[in-house]
Amino acid sequence: MNKILVSDIINLDNNNYILDIKTSKLIINNKGNNKVFIINNNIIEDLIINMDDYSTLNIYIYNICINNNLLVNINQNNNSDINYNMAFINNSNNKLIINNDLNGNNNKSNINIRNISNKDEMVIKINVNIAQNTFNNIALEDLKGICNGGIVHIEPNIDTLSNEVMANHLTTIGAINKDELNYLLSKGISINKAKKILLKGFIFSNMDDYIKDNYGGEIDE
Amino acid sequence: MFALKNYNLYINDRILFENLNLNINPGEIHVLMGKNGVGKSSIAKSIMGDANYTVKGSIIYNNEDITNLSIDERSRKGIYLLNQSPMAIEGVTNASMLRTALGEREKNVDIFKLNKELLEVCEKLELDKSFIHKDINVGASGGERKKIELMHLWILKPTFIILDEIDSGLDVDALKIVGKSLKEYYELYHPSILIITHSNTLINNFDLYHVHLLDNKKIIKSGGKELAHDILTKGFKDLDNSSTFVIRKNNNYE
Repeated sequence: MNKILVSDIINLDNNNYILDIKTSKLIINNKGNNKVFIINNNIIEDLIINMDDYSTLNIYIYNICINNNLLVNINQNNNSDINYNMAFINNSNNKLIINNDLNGNNNKSNINIRNISNKDEMVIKINVNIAQNTFNNIALEDLKGICNGGIVHIEPNIDTLSNEVMANHLTTIGAINKDELNYLLSKGISINKAKKILLKGFIFSNMDDYIKDNYGGEIDE
Repeated sequence: MFALKNYNLYINDRILFENLNLNINPGEIHVLMGKNGVGKSSIAKSIMGDANYTVKGSIIYNNEDITNLSIDERSRKGIYLLNQSPMAIEGVTNASMLRTALGEREKNVDIFKLNKELLEVCEKLELDKSFIHKDINVGASGGERKKIELMHLWILKPTFIILDEIDSGLDVDALKIVGKSLKEYYELYHPSILIITHSNTLINNFDLYHVHLLDNKKIIKSGGKELAHDILTKGFKDLDNSSTFVIRKNNNYE
């Protein structure tokens, strides 16, 4: 996969993309079936994703040290499917806000977030809005944060004006799981390495193999 | 040799065992039996160094007092706990965990040798090879989880193994495979083994073992195979619960 330099607008059409974004605002128009990677980008602040009808998007946003606020607006009309996966570590006060509007029928929205807060506070607000008189929409939120010296604040919102929707949200915030830590210690792994393994496992748990294989070393360092 | 000497075990200031003594010589198999809630699993966890428990007295392994060692130090000394419900860890594969765990024990880990060994162990355990590169116990059934833990055991090669009710929840076929694998490991490496169980299906794989019955915060009876048989046929109620210790002489009980 080659990096594509983008500014302002990109039209995706049945491919895999690594986006090298040089502007603070980007519009993604999604047509067909696409996979997109945005890696270690601290320039973008405003991302708009427009899903064409009958299109699918698997997007992976990975940032080992986020230091910007990000506002994401996802627009879905009919028969579209988005898997929005984001994993990041923050060392400063930052905000992530995602607004996902499902305006029509037969859409699927699956938002997976993993955040490790090393310092200060990370605020994560996810708002999925399902319009009135729509049917067969699926809205899923899986939002997890680990406080590793910093604070994680998560607001998982699903607002639905339709009765015919399947919606589910899961949110967890906590420290490193003690039982998981003890398990690794019981295999003879020292405490610092065990913590690092768990944090790495957590941050990559919703990421594609491409990111695990190419950026796993960054976390080790 | 492994020993509990004047061992007192507490959880939240509640005493579970008082002045308990147990010696396990190299290559010996000992079985702990007792009613539910008597504290068998607590002994297993405390030997492994679980911080939820307080130990007064000593835990000795290979002539060293390990009572105050951390969990990972105990593991690297050769102690391995396989419990009844192994946990799942998302994002950490069996292969990467084992590579790191071996790296803590050896300077250079031979990745090719490790991979070959993992494939052989999977075959032996009738475990799908895909588990090697899957997250630890994620998406695995109860039986598969125990086989995965056995896979870890075969790679890490412990010298003192604690099996905490690993026979619970296993179907007949899985029990046979697990029992066979443990027997094979025992015959190859002669580790000391401490088994906690409520049935004889696992212990029947071994020819010689020592049985201890726990109750009232202590070992109330010790014996050989016949004690296990008595417990399993008569139940705990009908046993003569005299508090007299049975003395062991050359692997025979009086």
